[in-house]
Amino acid sequence: MSDYLLQMNGIVKSFGGVKALNGIDIKVRAGECVGLCGENGAGKSTLMKVLSAVYPHGTWEGEIVWDGQPLKAQSISETEAAGIVIIHQELTLVPDLSVAENIFMGHELTLPGGRMNYPAMIHRAEALMRELKVPDMNVALPVSQYGGGYQQLVEIAKALNKQARLLILDEPSSALTRSEIEVLLDIIRDLKAKGVACVYISHKLDEVAAVCDTISVIRDGKHIATTAMADMDIPSIITQMVGREMSNLYPTEPHTVGEVIFEARNVTCYDVDNPKRKRVDDISFVLKRGEILGIAGLVGAGRTELVSALFGAYPGRYTGEVWLDGKPIDTRTPLKSIRAGLCMVPEDRKRQGIIPDLGVGQNITLAVLDTFAHLTRIDAEAELGSIDKEIARMHLKTASPFLPITSLSGGNQQKAVLAKMLLTQPRVLILDEPTRGVDVGAKYEIYKLMGALAASGVSIIMVSSELAEVLGVSDRVLVIGEGQLRGDFINEGLTQEQVLAAALSQSGDTAHNKNNNDRPGAVGDARQ
Amino acid sequence: MNQLKQLFTRYKMLALVIAIAVIWLFFSWETDGGFLTPRNLSNLLRQMSITGILACGMVLVIISGEIDLSVGSLLGLLGGVAAILDVVYHLPLPLNLCIVAGCGLLIGLANGCMTAYLRIPSFIVGLGGMLAFRGILLGITGGTTIAPVSPELVYIGQGYLPPLVGVVLGVLLFALTLFLTWRQRSNRALHGLAAHSLVRDVVRVAAIGAVLAGFVYTLNSYDGIPVPVLLLLVLLGVFSYITSQTVFGRRIYSVGSNMEATRLSGINVQAVKLWIFGIMGVMCALAGLVNTARLAAGSPSAGNMGELDAIAACFIGGTSMRGGSGTVYGALLGALVITSLDNGMSMLDVDSYWQMIVKGSILVLAVWVDVSTRAGRR
Repeated sequence: MSDYLLQMNGIVKSFGGVKALNGIDIKVRAGECVGLCGENGAGKSTLMKVLSAVYPHGTWEGEIVWDGQPLKAQSISETEAAGIVIIHQELTLVPDLSVAENIFMGHELTLPGGRMNYPAMIHRAEALMRELKVPDMNVALPVSQYGGGYQQLVEIAKALNKQARLLILDEPSSALTRSEIEVLLDIIRDLKAKGVACVYISHKLDEVAAVCDTISVIRDGKHIATTAMADMDIPSIITQMVGREMSNLYPTEPHTVGEVIFEARNVTCYDVDNPKRKRVDDISFVLKRGEILGIAGLVGAGRTELVSALFGAYPGRYTGEVWLDGKPIDTRTPLKSIRAGLCMVPEDRKRQGIIPDLGVGQNITLAVLDTFAHLTRIDAEAELGSIDKEIARMHLKTASPFLPITSLSGGNQQKAVLAKMLLTQPRVLILDEPTRGVDVGAKYEIYKLMGALAASGVSIIMVSSELAEVLGVSDRVLVIGEGQLRGDFINEGLTQEQVLAAALSQSGDTAHNKNNNDRPGAVGDARQ
Repeated sequence: MNQLKQLFTRYKMLALVIAIAVIWLFFSWETDGGFLTPRNLSNLLRQMSITGILACGMVLVIISGEIDLSVGSLLGLLGGVAAILDVVYHLPLPLNLCIVAGCGLLIGLANGCMTAYLRIPSFIVGLGGMLAFRGILLGITGGTTIAPVSPELVYIGQGYLPPLVGVVLGVLLFALTLFLTWRQRSNRALHGLAAHSLVRDVVRVAAIGAVLAGFVYTLNSYDGIPVPVLLLLVLLGVFSYITSQTVFGRRIYSVGSNMEATRLSGINVQAVKLWIFGIMGVMCALAGLVNTARLAAGSPSAGNMGELDAIAACFIGGTSMRGGSGTVYGALLGALVITSLDNGMSMLDVDSYWQMIVKGSILVLAVWVDVSTRAGRR
């Protein structure tokens, strides 16, 4: 009966009285890729922790059958020995060690006396890299020399080196560029052909659809459905994930784009470690009142560097001017920027967004705490009133404003960070990857909020790696490639292909569509 | 067992109070009650005041994610300066106080400047200061004890409040407790939050009242409330207010919890750190004054290892090692633990090498208990 490599039957995992998983069944055949879909907090990560014995056998109910035998692993090393390897969303590489050393971490090849057998490890690492179609990688260099995409490949090489028979990929593409994702998906197809099974967890449903044979959807800890991908499409996956029809992923809030109010002039950023290298090369652009400007480009193109320089948060040396209302403004530190009416929701929520030891409410009021103070003392009532208002406005789901912010889901944490910045009443709002690691429902609410802000006259700059999102919500799209401005498009009939073509173009020319001559002071166009 | 663990997780300070009670009972039994006499308790609190004053400042430094190793030496230096100004230059006490506190503030700000603006790790700044300040002290005193200091200065360290003042103070504090409890209840009602049960609040107020009454009665049945203990009580109030009610206080926690996110929220994190170190410097000045007054002399070895006692007090009192959480009253309870051990073991004539072993072990044990009851944290 069992042509399944892995069967998880009736998995129940409780924390205190709360059932995080409530009877989940997952089956995986050898050489099959199963897409595991669900909103944030649906229980995907918990399920994978059960499978990889982060939660050892006995702390949950149900059974795992691996290769026809019940698996009762007590630790990750046991599951890895069995051939189950998990690649976490956050990479677990040691940046200062070489690629080869990372691949053999914990399984080092040794010579007598415990000395490292570098020649053998480098030889094997090079073979693995050839297998992964990156033969030009120098495996003796430190991992930190390589970008996010290559690092992800090193993680996969590390897993393959452990003779993985089941590879669990948890949001593997969140830091990858489009082309790197293609490489990754090709590799997964290769692995499938060699009989390696995969569980692919991702919010990016187009990737799931492209590579998975079967889709299992879980919601609120319950198994909703397992269907062959051939019988599914992306809208039906979304319907199963949210439990309701999601007719439009990108709500359009009617808003009018006004005159030019904000301008970035000749922004150039130099690399932190190598001050001669330009990460952003002389970029200028304008932004109109009530406009949503999407900034697209491949990861590493310099988008985050550009916007953090505008906000005064770029760690290295940079030059350039920022103008608001026809006057240059001082944005050399985040504090000065916020005072001038410019604020930013940063890319990395955990490292740059939330204050883990403060409550939800205290996180929200952090940036404007002064306004509640009477002679140094915080007026607790006024503060709480403001917090309640923001929680209601953002539809932030929390049992109480006093809960630790770390107890919220990613989407709700993001709403809290957004609320914190909105309380400063910005005229220009920079959002860097505002929906990264955010579930479908919260994404929808964030888009809606962006529309409402634009309608009230706030100008928004949104950096995003998801092209569909950029095209879905922007009025205008800037394309950045290798630190240069490669395209400036009015978003009317704009296609993903056009944007990608601009991002990949080699010359220093800036592509335009229609008769888009956005010079400073150009007359604005109205959209609805 | 599990329930007990949960109880301690929620009321961490309860565990600390129980630990203090156990320590006191043990010493009391070993000394045939000598430990718990009013005279010894009065001594104990006076002894504790120096570590306590330092711990008040240190807890802010540690919450903000830094450390200051120089406070023991700085205490000695500023205490020495106070003694010299008093003994050699006969400066009037108020002027002396101002100069010493001003020096403390400036040196603290210099430490803060090096840490926050020049980005030298505070551990190194503290280590350097620890050596340098001690060196300056040895230089200006010539390695000798500066004595005798004037009676006015001695009063700061050895004086007592008249019993009546003590009683009035106790009554006022009790009235303040009543008022704060009442305001908290009405505030919670105003925001539709479930008020704490009346029984809970009554028990709490009664407990605070009993502790206050016991405190005043015990001290009054010796010589009255010692002046340094009064100073410590005032600092407890001021620092609790700063950490829980003010913008600056909130920012201390926020900087320690996630400095990058705080900076990106438009907060001048460098200025926050600068002022924390400035406050630490003033606390060193106060501790130095009290220490000189208590010994009635400026000694070149004053405050030796004081930084370690203050840091240990913070950690025993539940301050997080990676910054972001901790309380002032916790740190003072920690200081009480340390001082009780010192005092009790001295009464028992325990060899000083044993005292060091015991204190070290208690520090490690306390932090282990803290770490293992910290539910759901990394």
